[in-house]
Amino acid sequence: MAVATVSSPKPSRRLPLELIGGWEVGLILFMALLYLVGVFINPVFFGKADALVSVLRDTARVGIMAVGMTFVIVNKDLDLSVGSTVGLVATVFSICFARSHYDLGIVPSILAAVAFGVAVGLVNGFLVTTLRVPSFITTLTMLFIGRGLVLGLTGGKTISYSDKATSDGGWFFALGANNGFGFNNQILVFALVALVGVFALAKTRWGYETYATGGNEMAASYAGIPTKRVRIRAYVLSALCATLAGLLNVAQDKGVTSQYGQGAELIVIAAVIVGGASILGGRGRVLGGALGAMLVTLIDKVLREGIPMTRIVKVGDVEMQVQGMAQLPPGAVPAFLGIILLLAVLIEPWIIRRQVFPRLLARLRGRPLPPLIEVGGVAIEGAQTKGSTASDKALRARGLGKFLARRDAAAIMLTIVLWAVGLYLRPDFWGSIDNSFNLLLSFTEVGLLSIGLTYVIANGDIDLSVGSVLALSGATAAFLMKQLGFDPWSAVFIALAAGAAAGFVNALLTVRFGLPAFVATLGMFYMARGIGAWMVAGRQLSGFSENFNLLGRKLIEVLRYFGIAPEPGSLAYEIAAALSVQTIFMLLVALVAGIVLAKTPFGQMVYATGGNRRAAEYAGINTNRVRFLSLVFSALCAAAAGVIYIAFLRSFNPSAGQLRELDAIAAVIIGGGSIFGGYGTVIGALAGAAVIALIRALLSLQVLLPDGSSFVMPQHWVNVFIGLILITAVLGDIWFRQGDLVGSIRRRFARRSTPAKGSAHA
Amino acid sequence: MPETKTPLIQMRNINKAFGPVQALKDVNFTLAPGEILGLVGDNSAGKSTLMKVLTGAYHRDTGDVLVDGQPTDFRSPHESRDKGIEMIYQDFALCGNMDIAQNIFLGRWPRRGLFVDRKRMYADAEAVLSRLKVDVNSVFQKVESLSGGRQQSVAIARAISFNPRVVILDEPTANLSVMATERLLETMAELKRQGVAQIIISHRLTDIFEVGDRIMVLKRGQNVGDRYIAHTDEHEVLELIVSGTPETAITADQALAARAA
Repeated sequence: MAVATVSSPKPSRRLPLELIGGWEVGLILFMALLYLVGVFINPVFFGKADALVSVLRDTARVGIMAVGMTFVIVNKDLDLSVGSTVGLVATVFSICFARSHYDLGIVPSILAAVAFGVAVGLVNGFLVTTLRVPSFITTLTMLFIGRGLVLGLTGGKTISYSDKATSDGGWFFALGANNGFGFNNQILVFALVALVGVFALAKTRWGYETYATGGNEMAASYAGIPTKRVRIRAYVLSALCATLAGLLNVAQDKGVTSQYGQGAELIVIAAVIVGGASILGGRGRVLGGALGAMLVTLIDKVLREGIPMTRIVKVGDVEMQVQGMAQLPPGAVPAFLGIILLLAVLIEPWIIRRQVFPRLLARLRGRPLPPLIEVGGVAIEGAQTKGSTASDKALRARGLGKFLARRDAAAIMLTIVLWAVGLYLRPDFWGSIDNSFNLLLSFTEVGLLSIGLTYVIANGDIDLSVGSVLALSGATAAFLMKQLGFDPWSAVFIALAAGAAAGFVNALLTVRFGLPAFVATLGMFYMARGIGAWMVAGRQLSGFSENFNLLGRKLIEVLRYFGIAPEPGSLAYEIAAALSVQTIFMLLVALVAGIVLAKTPFGQMVYATGGNRRAAEYAGINTNRVRFLSLVFSALCAAAAGVIYIAFLRSFNPSAGQLRELDAIAAVIIGGGSIFGGYGTVIGALAGAAVIALIRALLSLQVLLPDGSSFVMPQHWVNVFIGLILITAVLGDIWFRQGDLVGSIRRRFARRSTPAKGSAHA
Repeated sequence: MPETKTPLIQMRNINKAFGPVQALKDVNFTLAPGEILGLVGDNSAGKSTLMKVLTGAYHRDTGDVLVDGQPTDFRSPHESRDKGIEMIYQDFALCGNMDIAQNIFLGRWPRRGLFVDRKRMYADAEAVLSRLKVDVNSVFQKVESLSGGRQQSVAIARAISFNPRVVILDEPTANLSVMATERLLETMAELKRQGVAQIIISHRLTDIFEVGDRIMVLKRGQNVGDRYIAHTDEHEVLELIVSGTPETAITADQALAARAA
């Protein structure tokens, strides 16, 4: 009996040794190392104990958001809107609280802020779960809408209330200040939130439901877990954490700028992923997320702090020693953070799941290797049998019905209607050559991006980086010509190559390393823009040679440049005056891309890959090659748009192409593409681009009011509208074009009226 | 009589292991031309693995695969396809966003110059479907708007369009309604008339007994029995599935002889 008790295994408790092998311990070791590097590089800052406290203080807000984000990511979702939620909440609080605005008390102000935060979380959750919009589209749009609201509400100005903060709500502002122990209260709040989060995710029902939902949502829902509620809950938690972070931010600064929380989503997501969570869902711990937040903040700090150095400056004849800081230029930090995000995302599937370290250890010790876990053994995606009656209707329809059944019909009709609305609002101006020219210009930019994106979306992938790649290529061309004195042709060539390289990286990560396309291109979204800003050091570059600028001119100016312009007054002159080089270029690209997609076997391969990748592979289609080429093509289109951008403006501005990814995605979806892949045509995308261009033009139209005054909508409100339009387009595609919502409502009513018949069918 | 002909497919002493798991142990397998063979067995008996070894999706550890008496060494399903072996997957592997003709010619759309020859594609698709004697409204219909049975017809039509000599059906009746199952069995009989041999992997013995010629039972990666449908019943086959052993395994002809004795 005694023998039996000895040999019986203990109830499995985690051994201390196993804990040491855990990811979190690795993080702590790495952090210690990094801190030492920081001390070595910059002893002035990192050498003091203050530095540790300040790193911890800045970690606090990121860490709080990471706690909420962990829930979302474990659920297999993503929340890109946390950064803008921080800004929005801070702005709402400030507007309520500030004497210059509503001058409310501290408690109503906090309540208003929390209400906004919860609303953001609920809207995110509702769109993602009930309305089935992919999470990255929902929250990316929410990011832009939030930023637009912040700009709209603050008017881009700083709101400050440091004087009122002394008299009202002292307890609240104390949260952002140092306490008697010499460290910031935010650290305490962070510790508390992290503790609650660790407990909730690891020990409670809520946590278990979260892991089940992220691991296999269908199995979880079969087991009776309300997965929709679980996912909405995570979004609300994430938004609440962002709200808390935003409130701590205003408590610390006693004021708000429109920049609050910008780019925070990148740091937070990177933190959670670095902390060992899987972007593929089902894995992740709050402790890891909190430590990841610390690590990423530390990296951010090390990158931003810069190296102290002495420079010798000559002022007149006097040489002076100046103590300065060698800092990384603007843009470098997001570029690095983008790289960190991508590397972190690769860790889980390629290192943890493949058991690289245990296998290495076993090999070194000559032990048998632990077996490989089958990677990517995800549920089989079969032929989608959702049954769209739309295509059946299309078969029977004739004449106008045939046109209406086309997936791009809505876009074409909208184009015409919107143009007519413009004509109605401003009959004096809308039809003029000037306005048509401007419309065509903005149409060209969106159109060019959406042509490439059509391929990517038809493939079932997504490219969030098009706007940033536009900036990267523009920056490259500007930098080469202006700073390095390249001739225009080689500059253009290298700029296009830079864009293609970005596409290559996107493709490598999605196709070769199997990352979801939205994660890979999200990394590129930050990296490409960061590198672009880095290259031009955040400045505006202008003054290129005039024969380069011809790329962005009207046709007539080009002809004039070569001395072959037609006579003014002739028809050829009129046409050449309204058309610009880039429009012609875009139409050429569209023609070739459209024919390839619609008529050639390659186009069919694109649709097959997007429809059912496994079936396409069985049929002998090299889907990897198809997806690879599409992603590179999309980036090339964006790069071409970048070159055209700087040629047209005769200068490069680091904010080039901002929000353009939203426009282009919306254009493709409006034009008949499906966010789930398998659909989309170039003609449709162009019609969609026309719709977007028209909406932008209409929204920024100067409307003459009857009393003689006029009104122009500010640009940031326009961006809010574009975000809403993207969401509407995706919803329309999911629920009307594919889901046949109208038909199902009709059937439901029909069934209700004849219940006997309905039950007989079942 | 079948033993006088060269078997269409012969697999001898197939072994296949996944790490420590021996999935197939010395399995022998034959298929005569034009024969419908049912492959049955419990879960993880090795049915799918055996078929994947045949098509080249998996590579065997040891053993021989002979097609027409010629030894082969398929490295991928595309190579076995060239020898006339087609597989229809359980979920049909079709692209819902494309129409019937595009799916039948998935990956090998007829082309004229650089472009897809649409005219020929739709004409050929009609021809294949009429050969199968299945009716679909139109070859222009999108596959996602078809019922499960119709989708399967498209998958079969796609397989037939390669002019195969063997079609492997993986759980063909698993997702079908009773009506669709009836239609499928008719289609299989039609294919048999055209001389196409078929292998059905299935759990439903009734279906196999309705159209099959022979039934083969696998258990834990080993061959435990082989019977002619005409000379056995569901009870005997069930007993083989549950309690068959490799020692009692005999070929269908031996079983027939034993029965006669």
